[in-house]
Amino acid sequence: MGAQAFFLAVFGLAAIGFGVAVFRTSSMVRSALALLFSQTAVGCMFLVMQTEFLGVLQIMMMATEMSIMAIFMVMFMMDPGGLGGMDMTHQKRFSIGAGVVAAGAAIAVALLADWGAVTAQAPDAAMQTRELGHELLGRSMLIFETAGVTILTAMIAATAVAIPVQNLASKDDKEVSQ
Amino acid sequence: MTAVLIVALVTGAILFGIGVYGALSQTNLVMIMMGVELVLAGALVNLVAFWRFLHPESYSGQMFVLVVMTVMAVEMAVGFGVAIARFRARGSVEMEEAEDLKG
Repeated sequence: MGAQAFFLAVFGLAAIGFGVAVFRTSSMVRSALALLFSQTAVGCMFLVMQTEFLGVLQIMMMATEMSIMAIFMVMFMMDPGGLGGMDMTHQKRFSIGAGVVAAGAAIAVALLADWGAVTAQAPDAAMQTRELGHELLGRSMLIFETAGVTILTAMIAATAVAIPVQNLASKDDKEVSQ
Repeated sequence: MTAVLIVALVTGAILFGIGVYGALSQTNLVMIMMGVELVLAGALVNLVAFWRFLHPESYSGQMFVLVVMTVMAVEMAVGFGVAIARFRARGSVEMEEAEDLKG
């Protein structure tokens, strides 16, 4: 349990450090990479907590997600390399206050609540995957299916929103003039 | 014994706080999405810790983690769709320039 707490703290500090770096660097590509490392550290925390399937899933998902994010950063940012030293923040004091209050409240709950007895032994990895499969295709099947349909809907909606809108009026004018 | 749980919960809480700061302070749409991702990462850490240390016999906790991961993916897909539409229309994804969206 001592080693588990140690590695949990190490990966936790890495996740927090890279999380802070996301908003500290002026290079947007570095921000995306810092977020990737932060999310990977979170995945490693899952592995330390013996949830192997979710840990690997988190690392794989975030690696692809953040790579796409880095590409979007280069595409959309006015200064993706951060060489101009632009300040891209607003309402800083309010945001810091809100962040500190949110984190403080959550830490207070974590420290003050009575969590009861902690289970020392986790089910082994094969057992976990098997039981999660049973959960997904049994009791939680409706939730699982809803999540799948939601992702499909989001993909279609995102594509529909991203397709350029044709100016039908000017197209009609062109046809008339021809 | 509860020290391990506390370490995980405090990490989740700090990630949540950093995410809230990022989502509120950034002016760029993609950076705001990064803040939201950190908020959800904090929630994920808490959910896994609750499952592992308090209720490892019930797999609803892991199911909940998968639902939050779905929310992360959906947020990214819709966010990038909106970013592309906004960039096409105005040539920028700066939220300071999106005051016309106010009701």
